[in-house]
Amino acid sequence: MAAATQYSEIKTRSSGYWALLILLAAGVLIGIAGAHHMDVEGHHVSGMNNQIVWGLPHVFAIFLIVAASGALNIASLASVFAKQAYKPLARFSAILSIALLVGGLAILLLDLGRPDRLIVAMTYYNFKSIFAWNIILYSGFVVIVAAYLWLMMERRMQRWSKPAGLLAFVWRLVLTTGTGSIFGFLVARESYDTALLAPMFIIMSFAFGLAVLILLLMLSFSLDRRELDPSHLLRLRRLLGIFTASVFYFVVVFHLTKLYGTQNHGFEAFILMDGGIYTFLFWFAQIGLGNLLPLALIYTPSLQQSSKSLVLACLLVIAGAFAQLYIIIVGGQAYPLNIFPGYIVESGFYDGVVGEYAPSLWEFMLGFGGLTASLLIALLVLRVLPIMPNALSAEAQ
Amino acid sequence: MKNAAETELPQPARRGFLKGAAAAAATLVAPGIFLYRTGQAATSLDNEARWGLLIDTNALSEADVDACVSACQREHGWRAEPGSKTDAQWIRKVKLTDQETGHQKFLPMMCLHCESPPCVDVCPTGASFKRADGIVLVNKHICIGCRYCMMACPYKARSFIHETLKDQLPVAPRGKGTVESCTLCVHRVDRDGANAVPACAEAVNRGERKAILFGDLNDPQSEISRRLQELGGTRLRADMGLNPGVRYQGL
Amino acid sequence: MDSLASITRLLLLAALGLAPLGVAGAAEYEASGFGEIAVPSPEKPVRAEQCVEPVEVMRRDHMKLLDHQRDETVINGERDSKYSLVGCMNCHNPASESGEVVRYEDPQHFCAECHAYASVKIDCFECHADRGLEQLQQGKLDSAPPAWNGNGAGLNSATLGHRLEVSQ
Repeated sequence: MAAATQYSEIKTRSSGYWALLILLAAGVLIGIAGAHHMDVEGHHVSGMNNQIVWGLPHVFAIFLIVAASGALNIASLASVFAKQAYKPLARFSAILSIALLVGGLAILLLDLGRPDRLIVAMTYYNFKSIFAWNIILYSGFVVIVAAYLWLMMERRMQRWSKPAGLLAFVWRLVLTTGTGSIFGFLVARESYDTALLAPMFIIMSFAFGLAVLILLLMLSFSLDRRELDPSHLLRLRRLLGIFTASVFYFVVVFHLTKLYGTQNHGFEAFILMDGGIYTFLFWFAQIGLGNLLPLALIYTPSLQQSSKSLVLACLLVIAGAFAQLYIIIVGGQAYPLNIFPGYIVESGFYDGVVGEYAPSLWEFMLGFGGLTASLLIALLVLRVLPIMPNALSAEAQ
Repeated sequence: MKNAAETELPQPARRGFLKGAAAAAATLVAPGIFLYRTGQAATSLDNEARWGLLIDTNALSEADVDACVSACQREHGWRAEPGSKTDAQWIRKVKLTDQETGHQKFLPMMCLHCESPPCVDVCPTGASFKRADGIVLVNKHICIGCRYCMMACPYKARSFIHETLKDQLPVAPRGKGTVESCTLCVHRVDRDGANAVPACAEAVNRGERKAILFGDLNDPQSEISRRLQELGGTRLRADMGLNPGVRYQGL
Repeated sequence: MDSLASITRLLLLAALGLAPLGVAGAAEYEASGFGEIAVPSPEKPVRAEQCVEPVEVMRRDHMKLLDHQRDETVINGERDSKYSLVGCMNCHNPASESGEVVRYEDPQHFCAECHAYASVKIDCFECHADRGLEQLQQGKLDSAPPAWNGNGAGLNSATLGHRLEVSQ
């Protein structure tokens, strides 16, 4: 690089920026209202029940947490893998990952049966619980990435940013392993119970986090009328293509693994053939809209320079992400536990039948509020700290 | 009856506030490093025993199983409207139909009080715990309502309290936002020891015919151990190696 | 770049975010009317001469006694202590003049007055009954399950499993 990159706060005074902030703030208030209602009334106002114990809030929360660790990738590419081309976006990558994680954690916390017992969650630890590890991993992530960001921004400290970046990179891999293992270690359920979920969540984080990062990058650059050369978008587009293809590969391997064992045929038939909403979401939303269509958009030669096609691809990857997480989280619980093999099981507690779940408005409000909180934090921090490069110009070839 | 251990009165601490403030600061700075406690404390319980149930499904009619359920509801003060997806289920009636022969039977399902309970492994705060005598409970004082134990339980033994409750019974404090399950009538066990009869067993046992037998699995001379030696018993989902304390006969 | 100025800005932003909480808290305090209230002196129970410990100890340490006891009971199965919450409620269970059930949210409830004064949330009665065994046994259980036959018939000292001696 010829000259050192200059960074500055975004300074737009456009009405679009303020309208967006107001909308996001309203979204946060809506989320708080939803959480408050669920807290006062109890979870019977949500669609969650004793069969589907985790629902839409967890889909939002895990999307944000997975995307958070993925959003850090761009910074890791610069600091750990010495890809100088990504260096100007390293600060943005770090701040976005913190913002996404905070929003996701807020959802998880507010969905608890007893959110007032946060202090209990922070003081009583069962070290055999993956949840307990995750509480440490998540709070550690925020601290490490914040320190990493400061080391990058403070000129005197920059030589330390490389080891800090390495630590943050390793930490985020462990963190997403922990998130995937929340499900992967559930040996009682055929829908989970595989170590494959941990690396699959890591590769999902690469794609989801990058999609969110590209969208916010384009949004904030256009709001502030900064120069964004197509060569930068092309590089990110190719990266998104590789990550999306990798997610597809992992999904294929996951289902092949399950299909090979006879005892899992029931579960596979449920997801792939006769699971109703879950089957539809799998083929149409996750595979079609979330994997194949974005890949087609990304790799169609005539669309290579089209930023609109990139925006669409990112939105589709995110939509597919929600579908995929909905199938993993809700679909995985809906498939009945097989306590009595060889028997037809009936009970007043929904033994042997597919669990029913209809998300209520309140839990959607909570999940949506967490998503808007993440975006609001990111856009506000961009305004008060010099995070964004003044320009991403064309590079000398 | 257990002997009442002398409970020591905590000393009034003038520095209580300072200590509390320091603890709060430490909690904020480094959760889990300076200040952590586990749910398990040193115990005065009889840890020689391991309590369990032997359920003879051949001796239980559908009406018997219904009687188990309503006895448990009366004992602990919970209720479940038919068809509700959110109401409590400490114990439930399960109807099994053999896929080949069409043979039907009814049995009660509740927490099986595993030797290696997955709910205890996954609980982030240690609220889900196993007593020294093998009874698996939820310590509702530190349950945060995350429901991870419900995800981990292979037997659907637990339910989450979805609504505000009032007038709970003293033997079964329970409230909104926490998870609950069968306690093996722990209040009766603490009172009567090896002679305890859980409410569900009381509802169906008549004279010598004990369709649900409570006892100490660790004591080879206990009635439950002798019957298991003689007639055997099924561990549900034995493939998972959890070694439940509740066993079934006639499956 | 000037990192100090940036940090200041960030802190200001955080303070701005937290400000509504402070305002809301102050508003709630004003609305509660406790601003000018005198130190509470809740009515003492008539049926017992003496609490399980001297009043000074109870005032200061009742929460420690209960916290200690709850772990003893839940984890170690110790159910005969004099420091049980059921024991508290058996004595401190005011009935209102009209004989209505006094809930813990009601200022007439023994616990409520001081807790409102000290602004400490009571976290006992979401799970535990907020009144004594006798009141529970009288059967005014508007939230009782149908299995109780509507008159508390399922409740006897065996089912309740707790000593009544403490309160008598």
